Amino acid sequence: MSDQQPVVSMRGISKRFGGVRALENVDLDAYPGEVLAIVGDNGAGKSTLIKILTGVYQPTEGEIFVDGERVEMANHADAAKMGIDAVYQTLALADHLDPPANMFLGNELTKKFLGFTILDNKKMRDETERVLMERLGVRLRSLDASTDSLSGGQRQAVAIARAVYHEGLRVLVMDEPTAALGPQETARTLKLIKTLKAQGLAVILISHSLDDVFEVSDRVHVQRRGQCVGVALTAESSTQEVLGMIVGAKEDAA
Amino acid sequence: MNTAVATDERAPLSERLEPYMAIIAPMAMIAAIFLFMAVASPDRFYRISNLELILQDAALYMPMAMAMTFVITQRGIDLSVGSVAVLSAIIMAFLVKQFGFSIYVGIPIALSIGALLGLINGLVITRFNVPDLIGTLAMDLVYKGLALLLAKGLVLARFPDVLTEIGRGQTPFFIPTPAVIGILTMVAGYYILQRTHFGRYTVAIGSSPESAELTGIGVKRHKVYAYVLCGACAALAGLMLTGKQNAIQATMAPFFNLHVIAAVVVGGTSLFGGRASIIGSFSGVLLLAMMLNALVTLRIEFFWQPVASGFVIISSVALYAWIQKKDRDGAGGWFADLKTAEGQKTVRFAALIIGVLIGLLAIGGIFAGDPVPSG
Repeated sequence: MSDQQPVVSMRGISKRFGGVRALENVDLDAYPGEVLAIVGDNGAGKSTLIKILTGVYQPTEGEIFVDGERVEMANHADAAKMGIDAVYQTLALADHLDPPANMFLGNELTKKFLGFTILDNKKMRDETERVLMERLGVRLRSLDASTDSLSGGQRQAVAIARAVYHEGLRVLVMDEPTAALGPQETARTLKLIKTLKAQGLAVILISHSLDDVFEVSDRVHVQRRGQCVGVALTAESSTQEVLGMIVGAKEDAA
Repeated sequence: MNTAVATDERAPLSERLEPYMAIIAPMAMIAAIFLFMAVASPDRFYRISNLELILQDAALYMPMAMAMTFVITQRGIDLSVGSVAVLSAIIMAFLVKQFGFSIYVGIPIALSIGALLGLINGLVITRFNVPDLIGTLAMDLVYKGLALLLAKGLVLARFPDVLTEIGRGQTPFFIPTPAVIGILTMVAGYYILQRTHFGRYTVAIGSSPESAELTGIGVKRHKVYAYVLCGACAALAGLMLTGKQNAIQATMAPFFNLHVIAAVVVGGTSLFGGRASIIGSFSGVLLLAMMLNALVTLRIEFFWQPVASGFVIISSVALYAWIQKKDRDGAGGWFADLKTAEGQKTVRFAALIIGVLIGLLAIGGIFAGDPVPSG
């Protein structure tokens, strides 16, 4: 994979909140068509790192490159414009709205009617059906029922569909997508991740579940106390080794 | 997922009816009133003139109920509609009566003032982070005080025909002019809810303010919009009220707030946000108008009106809360948990209060002297 150019690179990223050093000199590369997992203990800096990547936070030091070009991101909208988006753990769904309304929430399709701009509910419905089927291979029982009647995995699919609808999307960050899911739903979500990877997206997966990480990821980026303690190729590593890096067993032994 | 499909097909009747409860519940209550009045007082209730009166009364509340549906759906509440209605109508009345303004300018001015007062409500809530309940309650006092200051107890009366047409005119058909206006605002509200960004975001904000924020929706801006809509609609109601009476004074519209909220809540719009029903609000308004008309027709004292409105609010909120509660199978009704230790404490506490009150009344009664007429 090293012969390819990374779609996004972070170099020497540091972030301080007052006196607290959340991140120190962290590098990260994400390549198209791969799943990069970020693992680490609570407070290791995973969330801060991806919030910087998605433009929610700005780094104290360090640079971000998209396609080799240095970029500045003032907010999340800037990141989205460059094709970097995130699916949050809470999914950011409005449970009382139906799936199409949720998929286009904040980005509705409209049409003109007597000079007024009005929502094009039918088109949103068709597009939702299409995107869910074509990109994610998911068919919902009903697109008219409210979103809270869907299962955890289906809700996840709607949230992912919202991100991938943006044609320019190249990096998708997923924050703990399987945390609240049962085994069956987890398997379904991991399948979605593989589908996205096959479509050439760079997927950055944050997870506490090493089982999930080893099932879908290509590389594992291990954070510990605000620093990157190593990036392992999943195929050449083991749960034991990664676990050792997370808790710092290796350093202590050395 | 297969199990989900299976259970869905065999869903109990109550669950399949749930989405339509907003229409069914008020309609059932309206039907109940019709039936009751058919027995109790058919000759006076079923007169055409009386049915028109009901529509005319209901019309006054339709614009406000429509706007309040948006506010409540966003998890807000507007307790200032009554004062906004009166204040904007009084300013309009002053401009027309004292300063010789044309009524055709006065009406848009009143609507703009209503919108402005709504804007102030919205800004107080979103900029100063005052909770909706307190913010609008306090502004209600402010607007009411200003209306009293302006009018000083005066009654401004006799307005141009346009205004009386708005308030109590008759179309060539059965429906009074104000009802036409009210129904038009309801229809407009329905389309705003279904077909505009504002409507869509209203539901999203009420459903989950955090999610709305994360998807880039201007939560505060849309909250302000809802209050502006509410203010403008309250001003429209103020104009309709002025036209209906052909007079306006600062102490009119005492029960507007409660009445409008009752109508919206009866219609199935959730006070906890995210669930909106314009059709429900429409039937809620009709229901309340019929209920009050029935009270009048049966010659029950007028002051029972707020009692009835309050009762309707409590019972409908309790009913919808009960419908929403998914685990009610094991709960066994509202009073089942009174047998538990925790419930027993509540029972004893209630018994204590009632006991003390009975004791005090008894002491007062035993030692009572001769009545002293006040004044």
